[in-house]
Amino acid sequence: MKARDLMIPLREYLEPDDTLSDAARLLRTARRNEEKIGVKGLPVLDSEGMMVGFLSIGDILKAVFPFYMTLANLGNFTWDGMVVNIAEKAGHSKVSELMTKEVVSVKENAPLMECVDHMLKNNVKRLPVIGEDGKVVGILHERDVFLTITKSMLDENPGNAK
Amino acid sequence: MTHEAAAQAQPVVTDTTFWTATAIFVIAYAIIVSERVHKTAVAIFAAALMIVLKILEQHEAFHVEEFGVDWNVIFLLISMMIIINLMRPTGIFEYIAIKSAKIAKGEPFRIMVIFAIVTAVLSALLDNVTTVLLIVPVTILIADALEVDPIPYLISCALASNIGGTATLIGDPPNIMIASKAQLTFMEFVYHLAPVVVVLMVVYLLIIKVIWGSKLKTRDELRQRVLDMNENEAIKDPVMLKKSLFVLGVVLTGFVFHGMLHLQPATIALFGAGLLLLLSGTSNPHHVLAEVEWPTIFFFMGLFIIVGGVAKVGLIKWMSLQMLDLTQGNMFATSMVIMWFSAFASAIVDNIPYVATMNPLVIDMAKQLWPNLSGTQLLHHPDLMPVWWSLALGACLGGNGSAIGASANVIVVGMSERIDKKITFLKFMLYGMPVMLITVAIATVYVWLRYYVLQI
Repeated sequence: MKARDLMIPLREYLEPDDTLSDAARLLRTARRNEEKIGVKGLPVLDSEGMMVGFLSIGDILKAVFPFYMTLANLGNFTWDGMVVNIAEKAGHSKVSELMTKEVVSVKENAPLMECVDHMLKNNVKRLPVIGEDGKVVGILHERDVFLTITKSMLDENPGNAK
Repeated sequence: MTHEAAAQAQPVVTDTTFWTATAIFVIAYAIIVSERVHKTAVAIFAAALMIVLKILEQHEAFHVEEFGVDWNVIFLLISMMIIINLMRPTGIFEYIAIKSAKIAKGEPFRIMVIFAIVTAVLSALLDNVTTVLLIVPVTILIADALEVDPIPYLISCALASNIGGTATLIGDPPNIMIASKAQLTFMEFVYHLAPVVVVLMVVYLLIIKVIWGSKLKTRDELRQRVLDMNENEAIKDPVMLKKSLFVLGVVLTGFVFHGMLHLQPATIALFGAGLLLLLSGTSNPHHVLAEVEWPTIFFFMGLFIIVGGVAKVGLIKWMSLQMLDLTQGNMFATSMVIMWFSAFASAIVDNIPYVATMNPLVIDMAKQLWPNLSGTQLLHHPDLMPVWWSLALGACLGGNGSAIGASANVIVVGMSERIDKKITFLKFMLYGMPVMLITVAIATVYVWLRYYVLQI
């Protein structure tokens, strides 16, 4: 089984100059298969369709998390409305400022074990899948890998998961 | 006579060696000041060149106190860093900062005053960079809670840390280096520098009162945010906190008595670091040791060797002769020239390489003046003592003069960038330079009055 067999083909993507509010809207409504239930991350493509980054829900959380709170243990000393206040201002930031720039991706013919390897070693839950022309063709989600693995367990026929 | 013995008896070696060493020194310092390449990389490479080109023997660079790495400084720094790294996760520093903001009843200017005092006291006991890294995040949080501009707090924190750090042997790297070379004790630093630092802090608080006293305003409901914070929640590990405070107590007591005990400060600190590591019960000290600021430590090691090289070939001696020529052997004039020159030099360049160069220069100057003396008789000559204190005061207080004058300043400027309110070079100088000029002027009066008029 290869990455391309499990990935969800690319439909929506972000652009570097989109604002965080644009991105939030798309993340909330993007399609996953045919349902409009939102996704947890989208690739960021430049005008030529090449991937320049990836924006996930985690990056949006980071947008409201002041950097000084990473330097000390201050989680106990916040106040009601702090997140909302920062979020209102953060909506105007650009996707390019908050996206993850060094994206871990796989080629479309990468074997499933290689995908698991990347997910575990880089602690990512989504892998952009790159086609032969170097462009993103889809996203491989941890959940779909999980479904395949557990299917093999439940079928008691592990051969299928190779 | 061997080459080494000849070099020690007569520091001026062949011309090529002299010019090679001088060139390495000048070029390395120029690159460090330009900040084009990381200073640690420059220092290590230049130090290695001194040995590769046979200006120094490896033995001299590694094992001879006069020309090589000053392990007293290195182990004192590493040990104190280990102690802080073990203490930090307990939450004690967050506790102190939040408690201070509450004692100030959430009033913005009162908070600034209390934070300045806390920063100064902590800077005297820990190094300035650590203090600023611990206090500034809480400062920005409190300013955000009160919806006031955090920038005045950041600037005030850096300035207070440089003033407070001047007070003790361990407060600021220049003092650590001076203490080691001049064989001065912790209590001598407290006795000679702490009194003037207390005066400087009072004056500093008056200065910030004039600058920011009436400008920082907040509303009652925002003050309530600060008053609602429970500082006790900061303490994450009460058991480790007790152990840390115990060890810190042992270390500080050890510093107070190290002269009487005939133990170097580095020994005391190493004992504390070892003890706290043991008490922490950690099975994997890897992260505690990895968080030691190795780039700073290696920067020091490199500098010691570079300066050792130019000391050996006689450049430092030549510089000390120029100094004597300038002051005609008048020790009061020497103290004043060193204090003011150090202040401006430290404002422009990192005070660590500056003091690394000045220490052997002062010792060389003393050798010219009193050729028959040696050891502590020479280093602690009554006429030389005010020169050491002037060097310490000038180098430490000069750090306030510009945004790059001290590591604490570099850190707050970096943090201001992260909150999109960058403190520009000029903005820092607008506050820092007057504070530097006023504090050094007071220090000048202090040295003159205490050592040349009252002679106590």
